[in-house]
Amino acid sequence: MLAGYSGKAKNIEFIEDEKVKIIFRDSISAFDGVKLNELDNKGVINCKISTRLFQILHEYGLETHFISSSKDDEMICERVEIIPVETVCRNKTAGSFCRRYGVDQGIKFESPIIEYFLKNDDLHDPLVNKEVAVNMEWMNSEEAMLMEVITRAVNHILKEVFDLINLDLIDFKLEFGRNKDGCLLIADEISTDTMRLWVKKTGEIKDKDRYRKDLGKVIHHYEDILNRLNTINDLPNIETQTEANVNINLKSSVLDPAGAVTQRSLTRNQHETIETTRLGKNAKLIFSEFPSFSLLKEIKGISSEILSNPLIEDFEIELKYNL
Amino acid sequence: MKQLKIGITKFPGTNNEPDVARVLKSLEVDYEYIFPDDVEIFQEMDAIVLAGGFSYGDYLRPGAIAAHSTIINELKDFVEKERFIIGICNGFQILCETNILPGILTTNTSTRFISKWVYIMTEETTSPLLAGMKDKVLKIPIAHFDGRYYDLPEKIQELKQSKLIAFRYCDSEGTTTQESNLNGSLENIAGIVNKKGNVLGLMPHPERASFNYLSSEDGKMIFTNLIGELKC
Repeated sequence: MLAGYSGKAKNIEFIEDEKVKIIFRDSISAFDGVKLNELDNKGVINCKISTRLFQILHEYGLETHFISSSKDDEMICERVEIIPVETVCRNKTAGSFCRRYGVDQGIKFESPIIEYFLKNDDLHDPLVNKEVAVNMEWMNSEEAMLMEVITRAVNHILKEVFDLINLDLIDFKLEFGRNKDGCLLIADEISTDTMRLWVKKTGEIKDKDRYRKDLGKVIHHYEDILNRLNTINDLPNIETQTEANVNINLKSSVLDPAGAVTQRSLTRNQHETIETTRLGKNAKLIFSEFPSFSLLKEIKGISSEILSNPLIEDFEIELKYNL
Repeated sequence: MKQLKIGITKFPGTNNEPDVARVLKSLEVDYEYIFPDDVEIFQEMDAIVLAGGFSYGDYLRPGAIAAHSTIINELKDFVEKERFIIGICNGFQILCETNILPGILTTNTSTRFISKWVYIMTEETTSPLLAGMKDKVLKIPIAHFDGRYYDLPEKIQELKQSKLIAFRYCDSEGTTTQESNLNGSLENIAGIVNKKGNVLGLMPHPERASFNYLSSEDGKMIFTNLIGELKC
């Protein structure tokens, strides 16, 4: 018997070469496992949707744990250490957001909202903020930054893809993990269980809310999503909005004559409470690729080898996805 | 015997290459301008002079963009083969940005561009480029905004101990005073050499102190030393 574990809807088996086999079961659950059922063929459909969506993300250059599909209800993935914080990206209000803030569902956000939740059934997956998550060492600040921009990029891509098949992406959650080299990868599954999809114009619910709200015909609608995804031959051309701001500052031990001159001017103009003025530089890098751990690594290389001179300067990278 | 040929680099913004060329010509040595992509010609050169100026507009940091141009691999190859390289002013900045020489040249403490005749003291080194020059005080011009030599204290100590400091700013008597250190360089450093002695970097302009009509010939000896070494 190979080592592994069972989740609420999937079994994970550890296999050779730092890989895992993820088997999608027919189980469906809601409200932290309080509501639990078996739905025929659900495992296969969700596995196929997830596989297709991971493949699509790969086409756009995003980095995920997905390697290949082995059987209809199985995929082979890189083994990762799951980060206990998941991201949720919302385009319109729905679900827990409406309950938490007492607002109507279906209100469109001007720009997508990112939320973080602690993965803990006993605590009912509470909302957490980045500062808490980083301080509790559930993730480091670099991972927090990457998770946000990657989630925004995934939202951009999935929204455009679902748009092609007349579906409105309301929200979705993403999980992340680190592989053995510490690379941050999108993990778990991306399926109708992990997102909300409404038919455009009619607003018909096509996702797990059908199960939560007892709307019936869950599998019928899941299968319809898969069928719609399978009609897509050419993926849309999506212009990435990845941007990095590299702030370069002289180390505090290094004399900054220009900063000192500016400081004297400020003092002369009665701003006596300013004690120190240091002038730095900013480099804005706009990329033609989607954000990833590898891209961040590249930016770090550029920053330490070209943009700054480590002898006298420090740098900070701020990765952004402007959508 | 094969005719000697010295390469003078010319990046966009380099503007001292005619001055270097004029000195080499007066010493009856052939030269060729080397542009940032001239990989093949580079290897045919007997020595390289990185001429001063403002390569790539001093964008990012002086010398930083040039330090990542195509011919830098050839330059590094030159260093390894222990062939001679002299970096003057912006050339010195490029040598530091490529880590061929240690340290960095940062903004003058005065935040002013300084264009002035100064004096530098030749320190004791083992570099053949400075042969016979020990303790000589040279009258030589500087013209730079970023000439303040900086490195970590332990690295400066290492330079001193290994006798790698080539020149220090001084007064006309040869005393290294604070007043003579116009750009605020640590230890009055005006130029350094590498351990093998084949690479020299300096902020002052020896090519502008190589003719009597310029009021000083003190810089010429660096070039005659170089040519002498290449010929033997």
